[in-house]
Amino acid sequence: MTDASITYMAPHQLSTRLAPVYNEAIVRKFTIATMFWGIVAFLVGCTIAAELCWPGLSMGISYLNFGRLRPVHTSAAIFAFGGNALFATSLYVVQRTCRARLFGGAALAEFLFWGYNFFIVMAALSYVMGFSRSQEYSEPPWHVTIFLVIVWVCYAVVFVGTLLRREEPHIYVANWFYLAFILTVAILVLVNNAAVPVSLYSSHAYVAYGGVQNALIQWWYGHNAVGFFLTAAFLGMMYYFIPKQANRPVYSYRLSIVHFWSLIFMYIWAGPHHLHYTSLPDWTQTLGMAFSIMLWMPSWGGMINGLMTLSGAWDKLRTDPALRFSVTAVGFYGMSTFEGPVMSVRDVNALAHYTDWVIGHVHSGALGWVAFISFGAIYYLVPVLWNRTGLYSKKLVAWHYWIATLGIVFYMTSMWVAGIMQGLMWRAYDKFGFLQYSFVESVNAVHPYYIIRLMGGLMFLVGALIMVFNLVMTVRSRTTEEFARTSQDYPDAVMAGE
Amino acid sequence: MALKTDKIVSPKREVETTGHEWDGLAELNNPLPKWWLYIFAACIVVALVQMLLYPSIPGITGYWHGLLGYSTRAGVERDVKALVAERAVSMDRIAALPIADVVRDPGLLQVANTSGHITFANNCQPCHGAGGAGAPGYPALAAGAWIWGGKLEDIELTLIHGIRSGDADARMSAMPHFGADAILSPAEIQTVADHVATLYGIAGAAPSAKGAELFAANCAACHGEAGEGNRSVGAPALKSRVHLYGDTRAAIVAQVTNPRQGVMPFWNTRLDPATIKSVAIYVHGLGGGE
Amino acid sequence: MKDSGEIFVGLMVAALGFAGLVLASGALDDEMYLFGFSLAGFALFFDLMLLKHHYDRVDAARAEVRPMARGAARHD
Repeated sequence: MTDASITYMAPHQLSTRLAPVYNEAIVRKFTIATMFWGIVAFLVGCTIAAELCWPGLSMGISYLNFGRLRPVHTSAAIFAFGGNALFATSLYVVQRTCRARLFGGAALAEFLFWGYNFFIVMAALSYVMGFSRSQEYSEPPWHVTIFLVIVWVCYAVVFVGTLLRREEPHIYVANWFYLAFILTVAILVLVNNAAVPVSLYSSHAYVAYGGVQNALIQWWYGHNAVGFFLTAAFLGMMYYFIPKQANRPVYSYRLSIVHFWSLIFMYIWAGPHHLHYTSLPDWTQTLGMAFSIMLWMPSWGGMINGLMTLSGAWDKLRTDPALRFSVTAVGFYGMSTFEGPVMSVRDVNALAHYTDWVIGHVHSGALGWVAFISFGAIYYLVPVLWNRTGLYSKKLVAWHYWIATLGIVFYMTSMWVAGIMQGLMWRAYDKFGFLQYSFVESVNAVHPYYIIRLMGGLMFLVGALIMVFNLVMTVRSRTTEEFARTSQDYPDAVMAGE
Repeated sequence: MALKTDKIVSPKREVETTGHEWDGLAELNNPLPKWWLYIFAACIVVALVQMLLYPSIPGITGYWHGLLGYSTRAGVERDVKALVAERAVSMDRIAALPIADVVRDPGLLQVANTSGHITFANNCQPCHGAGGAGAPGYPALAAGAWIWGGKLEDIELTLIHGIRSGDADARMSAMPHFGADAILSPAEIQTVADHVATLYGIAGAAPSAKGAELFAANCAACHGEAGEGNRSVGAPALKSRVHLYGDTRAAIVAQVTNPRQGVMPFWNTRLDPATIKSVAIYVHGLGGGE
Repeated sequence: MKDSGEIFVGLMVAALGFAGLVLASGALDDEMYLFGFSLAGFALFFDLMLLKHHYDRVDAARAEVRPMARGAARHD
């Protein structure tokens, strides 16, 4: 069966129209950075998981302290690994789907790369030195964040500029999601970081908000960081790479419109679900809960579009292990975006709040969705970007897939058990009306599950190392020799290569 | 690639693409899945119902309180009240009775031990260790080596007011800084340490006449002629196997030179009298009570 | 292909580097000190790289006067 109205193009082939010279050099840089920071993030994650099992591991060295390494892990996973993946794919996708070279030229693109990664390094160094704003996902000191804002403004200029100079009349759906991500993250970062520095020359600053107002701003920020940085933006990635890898059209344009607008509208309100049963007013908590529930189907719209795009091409999952990552990612995405609204319900949250269930939820999303969709995209991109015939070894991709998936399962299930156990232990009363368990007993009880979680994380790390090996060999091995792109294929274009 | 069965073939072959194309990508324009729409609508209804029943919409000064009159704060107050009432059955009696009488009543004793156990685990264990095992600088409550006395009433008083805690009635003791304030020379400290080492029973410690003389002149006033301690001033018994800051000779020298003087917090503002009695009873029962 | 953004980016980064030096000069804590110098170092490295790429392009453009092999890559 063929859709006569559309000709599906094989990879590496552009249409017969004039192709502009895309800036792929910068995408290559960002791709390499993504994998580098991914390994760092997973390694630090395993380190702190081990420290939770055996606190003495830091050996009294302040730089290895759990409190300092934890934000290194979260920032590395979200901003370093996730951020570089988004830069790589958004800049690739926006050029290709607009048929336009990046606005601002090579110099501005270089600044995006070096500037963003400089921000990451400075943030990580600050944490290790003991400087942190102590607000989740918003730890960098004020001056480091100002630098990020400068980079971000440039990013917005480059992305929007490219959209404005597009040759295609319409803006592809992936770009809506990327754009929403860029603009919303700018607002989030600016508002949450409002502060008065103690001095121009000091790392410390007085946060503009106090008490519960600070808490609400923080979790409006925190949840939307997850919603726009880790969800909307990666949906943009999904919308390009799944139809590309499956060589199928996106399932429903109508659905993409409706779920896009409803998602970005609903997500903004969900922050209070992080503050159930705190001093945040009840009405704010209810609004957070209500919008989190309404958020379920808009999120699943992305899942439906992602999965149903495979219809007519499910057999490709047998032959394309990289596509398996992308599709599995969508599956985990569906699971997490169902679990989230469930946990937002006040009565469920009464059990789940402050427990390891939250960590399990975070990681099913971070590992299962964010990392997997990035892996799928990168497995597709590397042969394309480096003009190779294909990946060095499809078998290694399969190994990566199964080891990582098993790791995620260990992680999720151990944290579910630990979380529910904590929640139940903390609320257990004996026949006299006293607490049944002391806090430290609940700490002891989850120790074995912390070890299982560490094993899951190690497996995920091993999978990522397999991926790095595979990618390095793809670029360097003779067996994936450069795809012979001659000027006959592209009459008036010159390939940008290195 | 040949497709396996017709079921895989999308029935949406009738559905057109939007006609747009980007880098080889296209979009079908399938209608919104019905189940998706219905569940979305249902979620919106559920959300609106929640906003109707629970506090939700803010105004300029007030907010919509919800039809159920729900309030987390009122809920907490209610729950705590119910809990206190449930506990009050026994705890009120414990509060009213002198501590010695509480232990004589088996039912009250059981309640006191239960309350004491969990309160100890959440409040005292971080310093004193599980089961009162202690740690360097943190008295081993189960060891029976009491600095301020190990009777029920003594333990209760220590809990209420603390030691060097800043409370007006805190237990106070002040070991002079023999080295830091140059009351004794370093050589003299070494000599008196020889004597104290024999009191400690450290292997190989030889009796020292000079040391005993220094001890009598400087230490016996608080620690007793034979190093038996003095509970009224909080001077530990040196003739003992249990030592708060270590049982090595080096520890003796360090403590004489520049004594560490720990702080036990006061609990009278944080725990109610019945709970304090319960903790005292529990601690007393750890094995070292007098 | 002319890169019009070069001058703007180069000047912007230079200004950032100078700001870094100012911050480091009066730094009240270690982290600000490290940040200031790192920013200055970054600006130096980045602007030097911009210059290198600029002149690489100029050289490549001059090389184009001579016939080039078909499909040969050239630097961005």
